[in-house]
Amino acid sequence: MEARTKLGELKEKFGGSIRRADLPGGGRMFVVVDPRAIKAVCGHIFRDMGARYVISIGADDRPFSGEYLVAHNFAFDRAKLLCGVLSYLPAERPALDSISDVVPAASWAEREFRDLVGIEPIGHRYPKRLVLPDGWPEGVHPLRKDVSWDHVPANFDGELEFKFDDPPEGCVVVPFGPFHPTLDEPAHFRLYVDGEVVRGCEYRGFMAHRGIEKLAESVLSYNDIPMMAERICGICGCVHSVTYVQAVENAAALRVPERAEFVRTIMLEVERLHSHLLWVGLACHIVGFDTLFMQSFRIREPIMWVAEKITGNRKTYGLCVVGGVRWDIGSEMAAELRGVLDKLEEEWRSVVDAVSSDRNIQKRTRGVGVASAQLVKDVGLVGPVARASGADIDCRRDHPYAAYDRVDFDVIVARDGDVWSRLVVRMNEVFESIRIIRQCLEKMPGGPIQSQIEDELPVGRMGLSSVEAPRGEAHHFVVTGENNRPRRWRVRAPTYQNLQGIPSMIKDQQLADMTIALGSIDPCFSCTDRMETIDVRSGHRRIWSGEDLRRLALGGRG
Amino acid sequence: MTMDWGRLVLAGIFNVGAVLLVAPFLEGVVRKVTARIQSRQGPPIWQPYFDLLKLLGKEDIESGDVPGMQQFAARLSFAAAVAVACMVPMGVGVPLQGAGDAILLIYLMTLCGVCTVLGGLAAGSTFSLVGMSREMMSMVALEPLFAVAILIGAIHTGSFRLETVLDGSVYAAGGVPVSGLIMLGVVALSFQAFVARVPFDISEAETEIMEGPLMEYSGPKLAMFKYARMVKLVAYSALFVALFLPWGSSLVFPLGALLTWGKVLGLVLLVTLVAATHARYRIDQAIRYFGCLLGVSMVALVLASLGM
Repeated sequence: MEARTKLGELKEKFGGSIRRADLPGGGRMFVVVDPRAIKAVCGHIFRDMGARYVISIGADDRPFSGEYLVAHNFAFDRAKLLCGVLSYLPAERPALDSISDVVPAASWAEREFRDLVGIEPIGHRYPKRLVLPDGWPEGVHPLRKDVSWDHVPANFDGELEFKFDDPPEGCVVVPFGPFHPTLDEPAHFRLYVDGEVVRGCEYRGFMAHRGIEKLAESVLSYNDIPMMAERICGICGCVHSVTYVQAVENAAALRVPERAEFVRTIMLEVERLHSHLLWVGLACHIVGFDTLFMQSFRIREPIMWVAEKITGNRKTYGLCVVGGVRWDIGSEMAAELRGVLDKLEEEWRSVVDAVSSDRNIQKRTRGVGVASAQLVKDVGLVGPVARASGADIDCRRDHPYAAYDRVDFDVIVARDGDVWSRLVVRMNEVFESIRIIRQCLEKMPGGPIQSQIEDELPVGRMGLSSVEAPRGEAHHFVVTGENNRPRRWRVRAPTYQNLQGIPSMIKDQQLADMTIALGSIDPCFSCTDRMETIDVRSGHRRIWSGEDLRRLALGGRG
Repeated sequence: MTMDWGRLVLAGIFNVGAVLLVAPFLEGVVRKVTARIQSRQGPPIWQPYFDLLKLLGKEDIESGDVPGMQQFAARLSFAAAVAVACMVPMGVGVPLQGAGDAILLIYLMTLCGVCTVLGGLAAGSTFSLVGMSREMMSMVALEPLFAVAILIGAIHTGSFRLETVLDGSVYAAGGVPVSGLIMLGVVALSFQAFVARVPFDISEAETEIMEGPLMEYSGPKLAMFKYARMVKLVAYSALFVALFLPWGSSLVFPLGALLTWGKVLGLVLLVTLVAATHARYRIDQAIRYFGCLLGVSMVALVLASLGM
C-alpha cells in the first residue's frame, strides 16, 4: 500500500504537524497539515519524495467549518497516487506561507487564490495580481461565499489600463497579443526584445474570465456542470466534462457502468485525435508551411464527422453525466469508426513520413523553445511538453481512469525537449490513440451506460481526478456540497502549468521562434482563463463598449 | 532612328500594359495552384483583380507616424516595380533601352526593397519596424546576387546596354560558360527571396510579425503594395528568363513573345511549387544562406573577369 508508506514517511518526519489523514483508497490521499508547517511538508513532498506538483486550491469554507481551506495537490506518478495536502486557516486571518520558493510551479495558483479567495501567500516573490484586473477594488474576492456570482463592486473601474513591469535595460517591448494572428484567444505577452533576440517577457492573461467555477458553486447543479465544463475549452471540452464527473464520482464513491467507461475512453481518444491533428496543422502554419496545415485539416475532417454521428456535434459532445454517459456507440457506429481509423492511420503515416524527412521543418524546430528536465520539474510541465523533455508521465497509465487500465498502449517519450521533439511525440501519439480506440471497440462489454443514483450525494467529501488531455494533465478538485451542487470546484487545465514555462523556453531565442515556441505547448487560453464568450451578431451594427457588455452579461441588472 | 522610336513607344505600351494586366492573373494562378496542392478549392482565378479593385475603392485612411511618407512609399514601390518592368524584355525588345543601362536596372531593383523599408519606417509600429529591419538585413545580402549576374553579362559582352546584357549575356564567354552557369544556380536558389515568397517571406511573415511593414496599410495604399508585389513576380521572372533562358525569345512576333510568356508562366509555377512545399526560414538562417550564395557569386565574378 503505497499511500500508507508515504503517509508513514510524512508522519515520521513531521509528527505533530500532521493533524489528520484520510486514505480513501483508489489512489487518493488527503493529509491535513498545520498551516505553520505547510512549506516544510510541501517542500519535502516535492523535493525529497519526488512528487509532481499539480495545483493549489483556495476555498472559502467558513459557512461549513468556520475556516478557510487551502489544498496543495501533488501527484506520485510512479506510485499511482494523487495527494492533497490541506490546511485550514482561521477566518479572521486567512494567510499562510507561500510554497513558491520551494515549489516554483505553485506561483500562479497562489496568486490566483490571493485574488479570488483572499488568502495571502506570505512571502510570495511576485505577488502581482493574476486573475483580477487592475481596476478591481482591493478586498473584494469573488470566490468568497458572501460574494454573489453577479456582484460587481461599485468602485470597479473596467477601463483602467494594466500596469506593466518595466523592461530590462537595452530592450524594447514587442507586444505579442492580446490579438495576434497565431493567438486564437486573447492573451498578452510583453516581449523584451534586444534586436531579434527575446530576453524575457511578462504575461497578462485571464482577460476573458467567465467565472465558471463560481457559477458551479452557486447556480448550477451536479448534472448541469458537465455541460458547462465542456464549454471551458473548444478543443478538449470532453476532457473537462469527464474530469469533473470523475472527481464527483471519486468524492461520492460512485460506481460507473463498465460500458460507460469504455465510451468515455473512446470519446477522449477521438478528441485527442482531432486535437493532435489540429495542432500539427497549426504548427506547420506558424512556420509558414501551409500545405501541411491544409492536409492535416483534411485528414482530420472525418474524425469530426464521426464525432457528430455519435454525439450530434462535431465538438462539445455533451457526453457525460455523473454516473455515466449519455450516448452509446452501437455496432453500426463502431464499424464506421473503425473504417475512419483505418483511413486516418494510412494517411497520417504518410504525413509523418513527409515531416520526418523534411529538413526544412527541422531547421525551424530543432533546438527551439527547449524545456530542460529541471524546468519540467520546477514548473510542473505536463503532457507532450513534459514527455518531449524525457519525463515519462501520462495520467492514462499513471492514474488510470475510465477503461485505460484495460487497454494496452505505449507512452511516447522523446529526449531533446525542443519543439521538434514535441512534434514527434504528438505525431506518434496519434497512432497510440488509434490503437486504444480499436481495443476499446473490441473489448467493450454490453450493459447500461448510466448507473442509477438513488440517494443524495454525501456532503463535504473531496474528490480528485486527473485526465490526460491532448495538452497534458487536466486536474479537477471537487468538494461535494448541499443543494445538489459542489461547494468548491477547481479546474486546472494543462496550459495553466505549461504557460508558466514559456518565459524560460523563449529566453534568448529569436523573436521569429516565439510563435512556434508558444504554439508548441498548444496553449489553450480559454482553459486557463476558464471563461470566454463569443457572440455572433448579425443585423444592425452596434459598437459595444465594455460597459454595455457588462450590462448585457448581467441581464440588465448591472 | 525615327522608326526605332515608334517601335520603342509601342514596346513600352506593350510591356507596361501586359505586366499590369497579366500580373494579377499570374497571382491568381499562384493562388489556384497553391490551393490545389493543398486540397482546397481555391479562389476564382480572377480574384486578385477583384481584390485590387476593392482595395482601390476603399477609403484612404491616414495612420502611422508620417502619413505623407506612407503615401509616398506606397506609390514609389508600385512605380519602381513598373519601372523595372519597362527595362525587361517581354518578347518585344526592351522599351527603355535608350534611356538607361544595366546599372539603372540594378538601382531600380534595389529601390523595390528600399520601398518596403520606407513603408515600414513610415508606419512606425513595432511590428513594421521589425519587418523593416529584417528587410534591410536581407537586402544587404540578397540584392548583390542579381547585380553580379548582370555584371557578369556586362563583362562578357563588354557593354552595359540593356538589349545586349538582357539576352543571355551570362553565357557569352567563349567555351563552357562556367560563371554564367554558376550564376544560374545562385539566382535560381535565391529567386524565392527576390519575389518575397515562402520560404523567404521573412519580412512579412504573417504568423510572426503580422505582415510587418504592411500591417499599418489599408485601402489604396495596400493595393499599391500588393500590386507592386504581383508586378515584381512577373518582372523578376521575365528578367530571369532574359538573363538565363533567352533561347527563342528573338523569334518573330508573336512567337518570341509567346515563348517568353510561356517561360515566365513556367517559372511562376515553379515558385508556387517551392512556396507550397517549404516552411519559412528564420532571418538568421536566411542571411547565412544568402551569405553562402554571395560567396559563390563572387567566385563567379572572378571567373568571369578571367574570361570564363
